[in-house]
Order: sequence, then structure tokens, then C-alpha cells
Amino acid sequence: MSSGKRWRPRVAAVLCLLLAACGGVGDDLVPTDTDQRATLAAGAVGSTPGATALDFQVQDSADNTVRLADYLSDGATPADAVVLYFTMWCPICLSHSDHLLTTVVPRFRDRGHVVYALVDYVSGSVTLARAAEQGNGYAGSDFVVLADIGQTLFDQFDAAMGTIVVIDAGGVIQLNEDYRTGANLVATLDELLP
Amino acid sequence: MRPPLFRLGRVDGAQTHNPARRRTVVRPLLRLGCAALGLLFLFAPAAVHAASCCGGGSAAALVLPKFSRAMVAVSLDAEHYDGFWNGDGFWRRDPPETDLNQYRLNVGGAYRLASRWQGFAVLPYVWNRNDYSGLARDTAGLGDSTIGVWYESFDDIRCVWRVGSWRDLKPAVYWGAAVTVPTGTSPYDEVSDNFDITGRGFYRLDGSVLLDKTIYPWSTSVQLTYGRHFERAVNREYGNAVEPYDKRLGDRASATASLGYTYFTGAMHSLTGTVSFTDLWEDKQRIDGDEDPTSGLRKRALGGALAWAAPDRNWIVKLAYSHALQYDGWGRNFPTTDVVSVGVSHVFR
Repeated sequence: MSSGKRWRPRVAAVLCLLLAACGGVGDDLVPTDTDQRATLAAGAVGSTPGATALDFQVQDSADNTVRLADYLSDGATPADAVVLYFTMWCPICLSHSDHLLTTVVPRFRDRGHVVYALVDYVSGSVTLARAAEQGNGYAGSDFVVLADIGQTLFDQFDAAMGTIVVIDAGGVIQLNEDYRTGANLVATLDELLP
Repeated sequence: MRPPLFRLGRVDGAQTHNPARRRTVVRPLLRLGCAALGLLFLFAPAAVHAASCCGGGSAAALVLPKFSRAMVAVSLDAEHYDGFWNGDGFWRRDPPETDLNQYRLNVGGAYRLASRWQGFAVLPYVWNRNDYSGLARDTAGLGDSTIGVWYESFDDIRCVWRVGSWRDLKPAVYWGAAVTVPTGTSPYDEVSDNFDITGRGFYRLDGSVLLDKTIYPWSTSVQLTYGRHFERAVNREYGNAVEPYDKRLGDRASATASLGYTYFTGAMHSLTGTVSFTDLWEDKQRIDGDEDPTSGLRKRALGGALAWAAPDRNWIVKLAYSHALQYDGWGRNFPTTDVVSVGVSHVFR
């Protein structure tokens, strides 16, 4: 047998071993379109669409306390919807938040009251969240920037970079997914707002 | 017994006054050194392709020197993220007190399939180290791997010491095809959040053409690549089940040009310095057929590399550096990074 022929099975074996040693490999190799969403019980509390969101309280970049309960229909400053966008101030995040600010916000400006919040889960303090807000040109914009110190909201909503969450006036989560094109956010607000 | 490769003597000033004598002396050198130079040029710009936003790591292509049987290559990349270009192409700083890094160990091999055909595979292992002022995460995992083939559209050596006719100007032309295999951990895997990501989650088919010309001691190369991502179903985002949809990343194109100079020592070691420029572009992605206006990217980067090769050209050690210029308009929707790469490869003749 030539040396070349002896090599081939060895190389193939090494590659197979390397792949087999890596847990999790396979989901992307053979993607599936099976709907894996769980069926929610009525009145369930959680992070997925259809569930009721737990109340939360965080500081915004101006060091004001922001409570979800205040924005619900029976709250102190009721809103028709609360929109949370989770940002780590990365290029994709800013591309999404720019799109939100320049496309989605103006579209619904005359329809009810919507709270648009950028959830900063990486800065770790009000001061640095404010610096990030200013550095990226959002100071004075339609956004409220929430300093998610300790990733409280991040964990509560099972969020990641680019997650968009919509909570209606009754505290029910209507949308919780990646921002994608923004089309599902527009459709959700279109259905919620007067 | 292996024939002596350099019995004809050293190529130095005293021996190269006579062109005929020089051609005789350097023929074995050309067979080894020229091909090795092609390899070095490819390594240098490869690092700039690896940067991907927020965790993804992918492998670069390998090229086997002409007349060689096989090659193994190992490299370690250290990529430091330092700011980014926003969607309008304006450069922005990262949030205060951040330190974002990705390290990649790339293990690859190339094998000659026929006189003009070669195949290769590269598998990266990725470490993400993300330190923000309010969050620190270290994760690791396999990155996206690459397998491919190259077709060499030439049989003879295209490296010369002196241009005697137009034929001496003909470059070595390689045609390549490669598939990126999503062996990494993507947003669509069972992950807790974006910090766990080591791959993009999509298959991609790349077509490349590489032109490489050496007129000693100068070398130049140009590589053009166009890639198409394949559409896939998505039913999960960062571990959360979502209503299934179809997604396809945008087509990707890149162009790299490099210029190098090789210095030969008296003992026939070679040290090659290379500078390169790479322009990378990716079109907008599509979700259920609709264009995502927030996607697409552009990145331009400068690179430099130093490569040392042993006299037999079987061992090559490389140190490369890639820098994305932090100026407005030099990129879009992409991080600016510095990549330092150290690698070693061994060629089997």
C-alpha cells in the first residue's frame, strides 16, 4: 500500500474523532423546522409569549427608578405597550436600535403610548450605561436606557444580544425573540395599539 | 534515499553573477521555495476573514505547495476587538471598560489528490473572553470548519529570478472551492446567550481564484472569493424555541492583494515579509425571503506577516498581524479588530 493510501483513513479518523468530541455539534449540521414551543397554561408567568411578565424594577440612565407595574393599565403612568430591546452596544445591536428609532418609533408615534427601552446588560452601572447611551448618540432620544445591573432583566426574559420583548398593558408578553427584520415587532404593535 | 536538494550550492552574490549558472543552482530552490511562498501569502491575509461579530470563528483555506504530497498546519490567532463601524460606516468605541477577545487554535491539513488537484480541511477551536464593566464571560468550543479543493492551472514553476520573455510573467493560477461547515456553536443551538457562540450556523460555498507571481526576491498575489450561504430553518434562538422560519445570510465577497519580499540567508533559510490589504463584504440576510435592512457588513483591513522557512522548505513558521483601520468609511456594521497569528506548518514532499 502506498504511503498516501495509508494516510487517508488516518486523516478521516482524526477528523471524526474531533467532531465527535465536540458536544452540541449536529443541530446546525442538520437544521429542523419542527416547532418546539411548549404549550402555555392559562395565566402562566414566565418569559415566553403568552406568559405574564413578573414585575421588575431597575434604574434608568438618569438614575430614575423604572417599574413595569407603573406602565400597566392599572399603574401610575399606564402605557399601551412596553418594548424592551437588549443591547450590548455592538454593531448588530446598534443596527437594530437605529432601525427601531428611525423606522418603528415614528410609525407608531400617533398611536397610543409606547415605552421604548434599551436594556443595557453589560455596563453594570448607571454611570456607564449613561456613557454608552451618550457615546452612541441616544441621549435625548425616544429611548429610555435601563441599567440592567446584575443581568436581572436579561435572566428574567431569557434574553440575548438583540432580543426584543413586547409587553402589553395587561403585563402579558406578546413578543420575545431576536429582532430579525423588525417586521414582527411592527406587526405586534400594529395589533396592540389603538 | 531522498536526493539532495541543495547540493548545487548556495545562492549568494558570488554565485549569481552568471545567469546560466544561477538558473542551474536555483532550480531545486524554485521547486520548493516558490510553492512555499504561495503558502505564506495565503496565510497572511487569512486572519482578517476570521473576525465575526460577537463570537463567531471560522477557518481559513490552506494551499499545498506545488509538487508536495501533504501538509499539516497549526496556528493560534489572538483577536482583540476594539470598537466597530456602525451601520452608516462611522467608527464607534466599545462601551467603557470593555475588553473583548477571541482566541482560535486552527488545525488543518492538505493532501494532494492528483497532480493538479489538492484538498484541504481546517478545524478551529475557539475561546471567547468577554469582559465588560458589568459582565465577564469565558466560553469555548469548536468553530466553523472549512473543507475544500484547489485546482492548479499550471504544471511548471511560475517563479523566476529574471524576466527573459513574456512567459516569465505568467502567474500561478489556482481555482478553489470550499464549503464552510457549521460545526461551531451558533445562536440556533442549545446555548444560554450570545456569549456562547463560536460559529454562524450556516453552510457556505465559496469559489476562489488565486493568482500568485514571484520574481525573486519580490512576490505578489491576488485572491478573489465569492461565497453563497445556504438557507436553513431556524426554530430556536439562543436556546429559546421560536416559531420556525427560514433564514439565509447574505452572499459574501472578498478581495486580498499582497506584496512580499524574501531574504535568503547564507545557509538558505528564508525570511519573507508580506504586506496585504483585504476588503470583505457581505450582503444583507433574508428571513422568510424578506431582506433584513439591519444586516450586511463591510470590513477593510491591512495585514503584515513574517515567515521563516527552513532550507528544505518543509518547515515554515509564521507571525502575522492584521489591523482594521479605525476610520469612518473603512467598514460597516462590523467590529474593528487586531489579529495576531502565530503558526507553523510542515510539508511532506
